[in-house]
Parts: sequence; structure tokens; C-alpha cells
Amino acid sequence: MALSIPVSEPIARRRLPAWLRGAPWLAFLVLTIVLVCAVGGEDILPDDPNGLNLADAFRPPFWAAKGSAAHLLGTDNMGRDILSRILAGSQISAIVCAYAILFSGCIGALAGMAAGYFGGIVDAVLMRLIEIQQSIPSIALALILAAAMEPGLTTVIVVIVLTYWAWYARIIRGEVMTLKGRDYVNFARVAGVGTPTILVRHLLPNIFNTLIILATLQVGQVILFEASLSFLGLGIQQPDISWGLMLADARQYITSAWWLITMPGIAIMLTCRSANILGDWLRDRLDPRLRQL
Amino acid sequence: MPRFLLHRLLQGLVSIVGASIVIFLIARLSGDPILILLPNDASPQLIAETKRNLGLDLPLWHQYLIFAWNALGGDFGRSYRWQMPALQLILDRLPATIELAICGLVFSVAIAVPVGVLSAVRPGGWTDRFGRVFAMLGQAMPAFWVGLLLILFFAVELNWLPAFGYGGVSHIIMPAIALGWYPVAAQTRIVRSAMRDVLDSDHIRLSRALGTPEHWIVWKYALRNAAVPLLTMLGVYFAAMLGGAFVVETIFAWPGVGRTVVEAVFSRDFPVVQAGVLFTSILFVLSNLLVDLAYGIVDPRIRADR
Amino acid sequence: MLLQVEQLRTYLHLRRGVLRAVDGVSLHVAEAETLGLVGESGSGKTMTGLSLLRLLPRGAGRIEGGSIRLDGQDLTALTEADMARDIRGRRIAMIMQDPMTSLNPVFSIGDQVAAPLRYHDIASGAVLRSQVIDVLKRVRIPSPEQRLGDYPHQFSGGQRQRIVAAMAIGCTPRLLIADEPTTALDVTIQVQIISLLKRIQQDAGLGIVLITHDLGVAASLCHRIAVMYAGQIVETAPVRAIYKAPAHPYTQALLAAIPRLHATERRLTAIPGQPPSLIDPPEGCRFAARCPHRMDRCAEPPPVVDLGNGHSAACWKLAA
Repeated sequence: MALSIPVSEPIARRRLPAWLRGAPWLAFLVLTIVLVCAVGGEDILPDDPNGLNLADAFRPPFWAAKGSAAHLLGTDNMGRDILSRILAGSQISAIVCAYAILFSGCIGALAGMAAGYFGGIVDAVLMRLIEIQQSIPSIALALILAAAMEPGLTTVIVVIVLTYWAWYARIIRGEVMTLKGRDYVNFARVAGVGTPTILVRHLLPNIFNTLIILATLQVGQVILFEASLSFLGLGIQQPDISWGLMLADARQYITSAWWLITMPGIAIMLTCRSANILGDWLRDRLDPRLRQL
Repeated sequence: MPRFLLHRLLQGLVSIVGASIVIFLIARLSGDPILILLPNDASPQLIAETKRNLGLDLPLWHQYLIFAWNALGGDFGRSYRWQMPALQLILDRLPATIELAICGLVFSVAIAVPVGVLSAVRPGGWTDRFGRVFAMLGQAMPAFWVGLLLILFFAVELNWLPAFGYGGVSHIIMPAIALGWYPVAAQTRIVRSAMRDVLDSDHIRLSRALGTPEHWIVWKYALRNAAVPLLTMLGVYFAAMLGGAFVVETIFAWPGVGRTVVEAVFSRDFPVVQAGVLFTSILFVLSNLLVDLAYGIVDPRIRADR
Repeated sequence: MLLQVEQLRTYLHLRRGVLRAVDGVSLHVAEAETLGLVGESGSGKTMTGLSLLRLLPRGAGRIEGGSIRLDGQDLTALTEADMARDIRGRRIAMIMQDPMTSLNPVFSIGDQVAAPLRYHDIASGAVLRSQVIDVLKRVRIPSPEQRLGDYPHQFSGGQRQRIVAAMAIGCTPRLLIADEPTTALDVTIQVQIISLLKRIQQDAGLGIVLITHDLGVAASLCHRIAVMYAGQIVETAPVRAIYKAPAHPYTQALLAAIPRLHATERRLTAIPGQPPSLIDPPEGCRFAARCPHRMDRCAEPPPVVDLGNGHSAACWKLAA
């Protein structure tokens, strides 16, 4: 019998904690870039995203004829650097995601916990509200809100919160209903622990994983939603920079400058896809039961 | 009428009433409609008088009842911009939207069913891989960008299809693809997993044992079983098409409800926005209701239960 | 001879290794004869049945050796297309264990019974309809004319198994493989299905391979019994001889495990131990590890000993 020589695994691999193995590093990387640009502001961009330079307008990306290394992804109709504008646009995406997810998550979680815990009339009212919310297409809701309010960042966030709170509420409600039947919750109730304490101490920690997963899965959808609203002119307004708005501006140059149409869209796609990959990964790690989401 | 359907109908009615309240409230709380109707330099008396005439001095719930009563009678007010009843305008534009939504749905199903079936028959085969790549990209591309890319490629570069407008078959191809693009991935997944379950079932094994040709097994016996979960979702997808139509119609200058409402938003044409959104919501609820009916036609077990 | 199987070997190529599900099985069935294939679950009886139709788990199952002759024609030499067109459902039919799941829930029973007739080009149009009604009458479905459009869920379990039987016999096959056809049914329904199978056999001279773990069912329906253990046939005999004078220790243990109503001692004797793994099975007798009569020679493959009158068993004890 041959002696077996132990083959050492690569060290980096062995040191990695088990839960991080197989993590989607590329997705992490994309999202980190987006976050850094969002936080870093204009100082870290290669060029001024609003710097006009009409002499340098409509320059194609560097690999095309007449492209230049100064503007890697080319310039738009006013000679602004596309790459810088895309990176600057991640700021709006990040802000919208942060607020929209925070508010829809909180409202949805509170409503879902209340409905699941108290049941009865609270639950019935909430379920009707969810049904009503689901009977209005979210873009239509955005349209009527935009008609009523001034379009802008706030409108975008309000629309997304109004669209997504029901999603959280429905899932959290289900979770709380299951948890409510557990022995330790019943025990706490019998022992005279007050309702707020039960909700915060016993139920909230148990739905926390679910909230994290839902929030991550929402990121991609929020980015798409914001882009669609801004594209329609109902969302972010000039001079703020948003990927959807860049695409709206690019529409009129579709016959002459293909890079104006493709580049911001690729940014949307990459970010959205990365967020989805991350969400799927977190879900599989933390709670595979939620796979049907 | 079976109790189940009655229950669903009632539920739908509640949703529609609720939606109308939401729409009314948002529109009314947004600001004084008077300011839109009257010139800026109108005198206080004129404003007060107009308010009384329009019932705007009444409590909000009373105003809603008036709005709902008029809406029931088909009166959503007149479009400021088009100078015609808002409902009439929406109804005129509705067929184009429904046409587009149906074509979008047909496109997505026409891709999802064969890809889903073939990837279930040969897991890991090239259709399976194609389906996975499509799912990966499809769900990260906003419909309006898909539309723009289609225009860039098929209209600008190749000059095969008209970039926008309403007309023959060539006009509807790109809008339908842009609209149907997003749900393809989810539909493929549904068909695939349903097909895998069915192909593994006893009755398919019996069909094989009795010499049924493989293409009959897959495309006739198994597919009809696998179609049930897809059909139950079709209403949801049709509804999603109606929502997506707002964006896609705008890109392709498609003369439907969506584009009309978007334009109305910019000209602050409130009666049209209200009528358009409420109408879309009603269609939304109706299409979900219709699916519950269609469900029974495909699945005889449910037909009997009802 | 209607069916003659010689030294059939069917292996499953799994990730864990090669599983010898059927390992050197020989059997034969005459016209109008019923052979019972009896054994515990995992003994390879179902895989033997599927091998006859060459319907093995895709990618994993393969017939590695031996021959299957139906009316003298070797089925192992046929192409897949020939099997589907000329053999499955046409000359060899099969019915399965669970009538609740054996019928397609979204097709009417008329469609399903007609299907084999249609794709084997036996009938079409009005002739097809009358043939479907006729075969449903033969399996005693009441007023079949009115029930063609009904769906499986509108029938009881026993009726569904009759409909499955109707699908199987529609093309007048020569051989029927019945895999636990009564296991999922109530006792009274079991009796009805058994008498139905008997009548179909008499009408058509059908050969039947009945796969079952239930010796009671086997006794009431079979002419001969083959007992399978760990992928091999350990004993074959006319039904009377198996019950009166079981020769192989495994058959004896199996019979002792049946609770007898009138026996003084009603204890259920389970056989101690587990059957061997069929990935890498033992060289010699596969029952040796559990056998009360184990000898040193059992480490070598046991010979098949002919005990006369069509009774044979594979055991060293009998060879002595």
C-alpha cells in the first residue's frame, strides 16, 4: 500500500470562516464600488460629472475610433465624462435604497408584527390594505403621486415605500403567526410579560434574519424602480445624476451615440444583478425556507 | 354561483373600492384643484364660489362619495387638455394597451414554455444553460432599457423595424419583447420545476411502460400538467404587463392608456390620471379574477371542487 | 415458451458505485400462466420487471448481460424505438402499484384508455371509441359510455386500478407485468382486482408476471412462484410446493413471518439481520449472513438444485 501524503489546502481557503466560503466576491466588489462612490462624493471621481466641455462632446469610449483615454466610457452631448457620471449616479441609487428600504422595512415589519400577533380585526384590516395596495400597479401609483406631489427624490422614496411595505408585512405576519404558537412566547405571556416586551425581546430577534434577507432582495428592485421612474421624468430631476435620468437624456441621441444608451444600462444591470446574487446567497445561508421569494 | 368565486368577487370589489379611495385621497390632498382651474389672479369671492359649485367645501368623505357616484356613472370629469370626457379618452386608448399586453404575454410564454420544458427534459443541456443565463440577465434589466437596446439594434443599426409608433405587426414586435422580457425568467422557472415533478410521476412512468412516444409524453401529457401552475400565474403576469405598459408605451410612443396617463401627469390633467389609474387597477383585479376561472378549465380536480 | 429470461443482469451505475440490482436472474412464463416474483423491497423484483420493458432509470440503469426472449425474439437486441413501438404496451404491458397516481389527473379516462390504441395504430375514430368502451366493459366499469369524459378523481381507488388495467390490456398484449397491483388497495378491493386479473388472463391467454411482497396475494393468483433475494432468484416452484414444502431457508423464513389465523403460535417471526448491500455483494450465498443453516461452503456461490416437478432452489444444504 502506498503511503498517502497529506496535501495541504491553500492557506487562504483554510483560514476562511465556514460561512464565508463560496461567497459571491464579484458581487461584493461591484456593490463596494457603488458604496464607495456614493460616500466618497465627487472628490474621488476621475472627472467632474457636471463639467461642461462642448468641444469634447460625443466622444465614444476609448476602444472606438476617436475615443480617448481621458474619457474611458466616452462623453455625452455636453462633453461630460460618462464614467464619472455613472459613478456619481450611484449616490442617488444608494440614497434611494437606504431610505426606501429602511422605511418600507420598518413600516412593513411593524404592521406585519401587529397583524400576526394580535390577529382578529387588526389582521383583517391589514390584509384588506395589502389587497388594496396590490390592486394598484406600482408605476400607476407613482404616476398619481408624481402628479400630486412635485417629482423628485422624496416622491421616489414615498412611492417605493408605499409599494413595498405590503411585501414585508405579509411575510413578517406569517412568521409571527408561527412564532406566536411557540412555547416560550406562551410562557412569557403566562408569566405576565407585557406585550411590547414580548414583541421586542422575543419576536423581533426571530424575524431579524428574514428582515435582512428581504432588505437585500429589495435592493435590486429598488434600483430598477428608481431608474424607471427617473426615466419617465417622475423621479430624480436635473441637475442630480441618476442612471435612469441619464438614459432618458440619451434617448434623443440614440441614432448617433450608442454608448449613451448602453453604459448607464450596464451600470444598472451590474448593480442590480450583484444585489440579487448577494440576496440569494444570504437567503441560502440564513434561511433557505424563504427560497420561493 | 359557487361560493369560492363569490368570495373572490367580493374581495375584488373591496380592493377596487379601496383603490379608488387611495387614488381620490392622493389626488385631493395634493393641493387645491382650484389653483389649476382658475387663473392666478382670481378674486377670493370667485374662489369661494367655485369651491361651492364644485362641492369642494364639503367634508372629504362627502366629496369622495360624490366622486365615487360620478365614477360609477362613468363620469370622471373632463380632460383639461383633450377637452373630452376622461373616461372616453381612456376607453379609446384601452384597446391598444390590451393588444400590447397580450402580445407581451404571448412573447414571454412563447419563450418560457419551450425553454422550461427542454431544460426539464435535459437538465444541464444547452437550453437549460441558456435559460439560466437569460434569467440572470433578464431580471436585472429594466424594461425601458431593453426597449432602448432593441431600438438601437433593430431600428437604428439594422433598420429592420420601425423605432416607434402604432401600425402593423412590425410596430408591435419590439414593444411586446420589451414588455414580456422581465417575466420570462420567472415563467421558465415555474415551467421547469413543474415539468420535472410531472416527468417523475407514476402516470408518466405508466405512459412510458405502455409505449407512448417520448414527444407525446413531454409535449402532450406532461405539459398539460405543468401548465397548471403557469396558468394560475398568468393573471399576475398580465397585470404586471399593464403596469409595465406605462414605461414601454412611453418609449415606443404607443397610443395606449399608459402613455396617455404619463402625458396627463405632465400636463396636470387630473381627471385623466384618476380615470387611467383606476381603470388599470380594475383591469388588474379582473385579470386575477379571470385566472381563478381559467384554473378550473385546465385542472379538472378543481373544477369538481367548486 | 412465452417469456424466457436467461442470466439477466441489470446494474445501476450510481455515484456510490455499481449496484447489482438484478444479478443473474433466469425465469420463464408460459401462455396463460402467472408467475409470482416474490421478495422484500430492494430485492430487485421491480427492477427485473422494468428490465423486461427496458425502462431503466435514465443514465444510471443498464442491462449488462443475459437475454430476454418474448416468443423467441430477444428483446435485448432491439433498438429503443422498436421497444417503444412494438413491445411496450403492445406485447408487454405493465400496471403499477398506486392507482391513485397512475392516471394522469388532467386527461379524461376515455383519452387515457384510448391513447395506447391510438399510438400503436390499432384503431381510430368511431372504431376507437367502441373499442375503448369495450375494454372498459371488460374491466367492469359500469356504464362506460357515460363515463368516457370523466376524470380520474371521479373514480374510486379500485375503479382506477381497473382503468389502469384497461389501458394495459387495450392492445391485447401477450404478457402483463403487474407491480404490486393491489398493495395500495383495501382488502375487499384487492380480491376484486385479483379476480379481474384472473378473468382477463383466461379470456386472452395472457402471461402475467406478478411482482409482490405479499405471499397471500401471490398464493391466490399465481401458478408458480419465484422467490427473489438480493438480486437473485433463490427458489422457484409451483405455488403448492412453495407453501407446502419450501426448500430454501429464506423462503422458509419468509413463510414463517406470515401471521396465520389458525396457528396456535401467532408470533410473527421476523428474519434477523439485513440483506447485503448490492454494491459489492458477497461472493457466495447472499443469504448466508442471516441463515440459520449456514455452513462453510456457503462462502462459495450455491448451486441451483433441481428438486423435481419444476421445483428448484439455490442452496448448499440441498446439494449435500
